[in-house]
Amino acid sequence: MTEQDIAVETLALTKRYGAVTALDAVDVTIDSGQYFVLLGPSGGGKTTLLRLIGGFVRPTAGQVLLHGADVSDLPPNLRPTAMVFQSYALFPHMTVERNVGYGLRLRKLPRADIERRVGDMLALVGLDGLAGRMPHELSGGQQQRVQLARALVLEADILLLDEPLAALDAKLRKDMCLELKRIQEQVGITFIHVTHNQEEAMTVADRIALIADGRLVEEGSPREIYQRPRKRFTADFVGETNIFDGTVTAADGDRATVDLGFAGVDVPADRPELQTGAAVAVSVRSELLALFDAAPAGDDWQSMPARYVKEIYLGLTTAHRLLLPNETEVVVQDLSHGERPAFAAGQPLYLGWRAGDACLHTD
Amino acid sequence: MRDDFTSDLTHRLKWLYLLGVVAMLLSPVFYVIAISFNEHGFGARIYEFTFDWYRVVAGDTILLQSLEWTAYLALVTVAIAVPMGVLAAKFYRRSRRKVPFLVLMLTPLFVPADIMGSALLVYFKNLTQICEWLGDELGLTFLYGWFELGFMTAVIGMVIYTLPYVFIVILITMSRYREQQTEAARNCGATAWQAFWHVEFPQIRPGVLSACAFTTILTFNETVRTALLKGGFDTFSNVLVSQMLNIGMSGESYAMAGMMSMLSMAVIGGVLIYSLAAAERRERQARARAEPRMSA
Repeated sequence: MTEQDIAVETLALTKRYGAVTALDAVDVTIDSGQYFVLLGPSGGGKTTLLRLIGGFVRPTAGQVLLHGADVSDLPPNLRPTAMVFQSYALFPHMTVERNVGYGLRLRKLPRADIERRVGDMLALVGLDGLAGRMPHELSGGQQQRVQLARALVLEADILLLDEPLAALDAKLRKDMCLELKRIQEQVGITFIHVTHNQEEAMTVADRIALIADGRLVEEGSPREIYQRPRKRFTADFVGETNIFDGTVTAADGDRATVDLGFAGVDVPADRPELQTGAAVAVSVRSELLALFDAAPAGDDWQSMPARYVKEIYLGLTTAHRLLLPNETEVVVQDLSHGERPAFAAGQPLYLGWRAGDACLHTD
Repeated sequence: MRDDFTSDLTHRLKWLYLLGVVAMLLSPVFYVIAISFNEHGFGARIYEFTFDWYRVVAGDTILLQSLEWTAYLALVTVAIAVPMGVLAAKFYRRSRRKVPFLVLMLTPLFVPADIMGSALLVYFKNLTQICEWLGDELGLTFLYGWFELGFMTAVIGMVIYTLPYVFIVILITMSRYREQQTEAARNCGATAWQAFWHVEFPQIRPGVLSACAFTTILTFNETVRTALLKGGFDTFSNVLVSQMLNIGMSGESYAMAGMMSMLSMAVIGGVLIYSLAAAERRERQARARAEPRMSA
């Protein structure tokens, strides 16, 4: 990969506020033209990372490289980035047209050019005909589109989006996600999107980086992050997952046997360094678990005994809550529609999953 | 504000109370203005309207000169105190240790005028001596007389006096401003100054105008500090007070007091009317442009 292909690279990027470390030696590489999502819990450092890339805060240590050039000491107006803020940040005394054209006026472009580009950008974000409105005359979704147009019209190579959909209702957020993805594909520039909403992240991302406690926890494609999380935190944070702690009793390179205390299970383990006796965790997505009256037969299946507690109807899916022999709670999800057996509270059952569906975590 | 559960009687009583307070505050001022237009002055049984006392004031060269000096003093004080107040308010919003900063900024408000004035007087006297000593020792004669009482010392005294007011007025307006707008402007390519001038200033303008008006009024009304620090010129208030002390309240004195009151009310009223009219105009333009809203 050449420097031209890499839009953003952070090297041991660190930000401290007094005794508090907001970001701790984070290395991230983001390819040009990628829709990259920084996902994580609130206060984890993802917005700090975005603001460091945008130049709104100066790093305590480390470097920010944009297209290979070190911009760590440059202010935001000298970086090839544009930002969409969480709280809209539109200029309330300017019309939509003047908001969007503000950066172009600063560049002293010809008036006709500014009008054309602003018009094009408003059309791109679906706001034609609203150029003369003031920000307070727009809905939340429209205001966010204006912000997007104001950022895109600058033709920056990298667009930073700081929780851009956080203030929108669920339906609008879903629509805007698809809209953001469409626009990114159309303009072809790098989008770096911060969110704590995993559904939002999955919808738009080419790649996801999980940030928590100021550190980069894990990075991968949405599918990798969801289906094969390497870290226990990732498995726990993304999706509905059941995590069981145990000890390795046997390891042969690509498989491991883990003793959970009340059952032993086989887990895929692509970790040559795994030693017998190591403390590990096994995670299984709740939708990959199935309920059986008796332990499922065949090498392909793994199972453990459990006691049924109750079901919770969630619309599309139904969650079944069960207790393991060590009183750990487990959740199994299945589709609400179709033929489903009824279970009684206290009924002894078996939880089963296909051996390849579980993930092993050493940290 | 009237809520759905307020009875008509309570509502009227509240208005009556409000008008009573306003009347109590303003009636002495209007009384003085009324006397200033009476040909027979204070205490007369008959009232005959006249501009004569104002004509006397207009022909009084000492008074006109003092007005001119006061206007200069107000102008220079505004030019220094208001930008300083804006900077202080901006610093305050960014600072982490807000309480010590606020205490330091507001302390001059709690020092009585005569104490502050005499303290500055002593301070300037000492500085003058230090400057003279330095000038003698170093052979730098231009240091002589830097802090001799005069226009500059009066300006310094007025800036110290008005800065806390300016700071508070601007801070209140600035509290509604969101810093992210500055970041958004910077992100569009604006320098720090452009971001302030294009985005922040238009939103804090009412506060800045109010601070200018307030500083002007405080300067015109100030007597003690200017009397102690002014040196070789007189301000309007100094002349008014010395006239009252020397010859008592004449018709001319009432006219001077009336002028002062009307000027203050005109300045404040002007700022208020300008702000309300601007808000109304923006609202009207917004309504004219508004079409049925879409949800997204």
